[in-house]
Amino acid sequence: MTRDATTARGARHHRATPGSRWRGWLRHHRAMALDSARRLLRHPLGSLLTMLAIAIALVLPAGLWLSLDGARLLDAELDESATLTAYLETRIDAAEAGRVEQALAASPGVASTRLITAAEGMAEFQQVLGLDEALARLPANPLPASVVIRPEDPDPAAVEVLAREIAEVPGVDEVRLDLAWLERLRHLAELGHRVGLGLAVLFGLGVLLVVGNTIRLAVENRRQEIEVVTLIGATHAFVRRPFLYSGAWYGLGGGLLAWGLLTLGSDWLAAPVSALAASYGASFRLPGLGLTGSAMLLGCSTLLGWLGAWIAVSRHLAQIRPR
Amino acid sequence: MIAFEHVGKRYGGRFEALANLDFRVRRGEMVFLTGHSGAGKSSLLRLIMRLERPSRGRILVAGHDIDRLHPSQVPFYRRQIGVVFQDHQLLYDRSIYHNVALPLEIQGTEPREAARRVRAALDKVGLLHREQALPIELSGGEQQRVGIARAVVNKPALLLADEPTGNLDPQLSADIMALFEDFHRIGTTVMVASHDLALIARLRHRTLRLHQGRLVADEEAA
Ligand SMILES: Nc1ncnc2c1ncn2[C@@H]1O[C@H](COP(=O)(O)OP(=O)(O)O)[C@@H](O)[C@H]1O
Ligand SMILES: [Mg+2]
Repeated sequence: MTRDATTARGARHHRATPGSRWRGWLRHHRAMALDSARRLLRHPLGSLLTMLAIAIALVLPAGLWLSLDGARLLDAELDESATLTAYLETRIDAAEAGRVEQALAASPGVASTRLITAAEGMAEFQQVLGLDEALARLPANPLPASVVIRPEDPDPAAVEVLAREIAEVPGVDEVRLDLAWLERLRHLAELGHRVGLGLAVLFGLGVLLVVGNTIRLAVENRRQEIEVVTLIGATHAFVRRPFLYSGAWYGLGGGLLAWGLLTLGSDWLAAPVSALAASYGASFRLPGLGLTGSAMLLGCSTLLGWLGAWIAVSRHLAQIRPR
Repeated sequence: MIAFEHVGKRYGGRFEALANLDFRVRRGEMVFLTGHSGAGKSSLLRLIMRLERPSRGRILVAGHDIDRLHPSQVPFYRRQIGVVFQDHQLLYDRSIYHNVALPLEIQGTEPREAARRVRAALDKVGLLHREQALPIELSGGEQQRVGIARAVVNKPALLLADEPTGNLDPQLSADIMALFEDFHRIGTTVMVASHDLALIARLRHRTLRLHQGRLVADEEAA
């Protein structure tokens, strides 16, 4: 009689409703998130060093990514300045030059044109080169008038086709386009992208190793606890949870430090970079991380920390068997 | 509750720790397991907890062949068994209260319900007033009672104990055994491994005796 009553009561306790199980699961997540944060804070120096190692591994690829982002902006600006210059025959006077310009402006594939008369060309020449006296001594203006053409399509191949067409227009003597260095810059940017991607993968692995090693030690330190909870019915997920949170906290901390380093770094480099860009006649600023960039950095670093912990704990759980 | 059917256990393929064990334990029964050191008592209990798997034969617990449990089901199976260890296996970095609450934490029991059950279990072993203490601050006998409270906090239908009085003096040992008898009295199936023959003889329960991995005696209580 008593026996049956007791077993019935025992059985009732094992039958948790889905709602209560879900709440219990959430509660454990919250408890482990807090507990693992407290454990990190209990050894502030060690935690900081781990996070710093993560931050350093993150800064290089993230910094490179930022500069490439800047280069992409520069690239867009260069696309804007992908222009052709059509030099007109020297015999053409100012009035006829205006007619040729209109003809060019009407050609297909031409976005806009700007006429530089022979006199304007000379003025610009004098200003840039500072050769006032030498030029003043020339008997006549030797420079031809020219038309600067902005193509509709800045793609190098299209520009080249357009250049050939324009060279056929009557009155045009020669067409110049400077595509080679544009091409070179594009290749350089592509190279940078690939190097950046390779570095990101490599340093991402570095973060996994740093977190993995730290978590491995933590697992080793709590071995007895893991054995005991396994003995009394903890699932692997339960055992893993605090370590995953530790890993995520390390990742987040590393990400925040990396964010700080990047912000400091771009402030520090801002002045020389824009001075350098200005010397090439371009306006280029190192872009900041921005909201999405910051979110990406922190998200990736947290995820990497979590993943590193997952790998380390899973490998060790397989080895830990209760005595 | 427990049925061993021609169970054998070899370690490392050669050494036969248990051979041809064949017995049944009824629901609500209290059974002692005795034998010399190395006779296979711990191995037998570990088989029931599915910490080891039999090399031959079948083990049925509550009618289920536990060798056929999927690994993901094993934690849930273990939650239905309360286990007491000779070396207590307490967590020394948390309070008595949290040690006892551990099985409930694992199951995700509501905190208020958990608190009620932890206090009830601590009260049962006479340690309610020490709930905020750390295990270190307790004597060996008290630590063992914490271990028992943790084993029963879940109200398991089956309670296993491996030499729970191994390190205790006779009076404390008798107190601990009396606790197991209390759980037996309210319907829990109890299996206690012990080589304290004098104490076992006094308590008058069914006794299984192992010798070199074989069941050499199965004596009903006189
Ligand atoms: N994991 C193991 N690997 C190898 N041999 C073991 C293992 N566990 C126990 N044994 C051996 O099995 C025999 C029974 O051990 P055990 O079950 O611990 O006996 P008892 O608890 O009765 O002292 C002993 O000879 C012991 O050395
Ligand atoms: Mg033993």
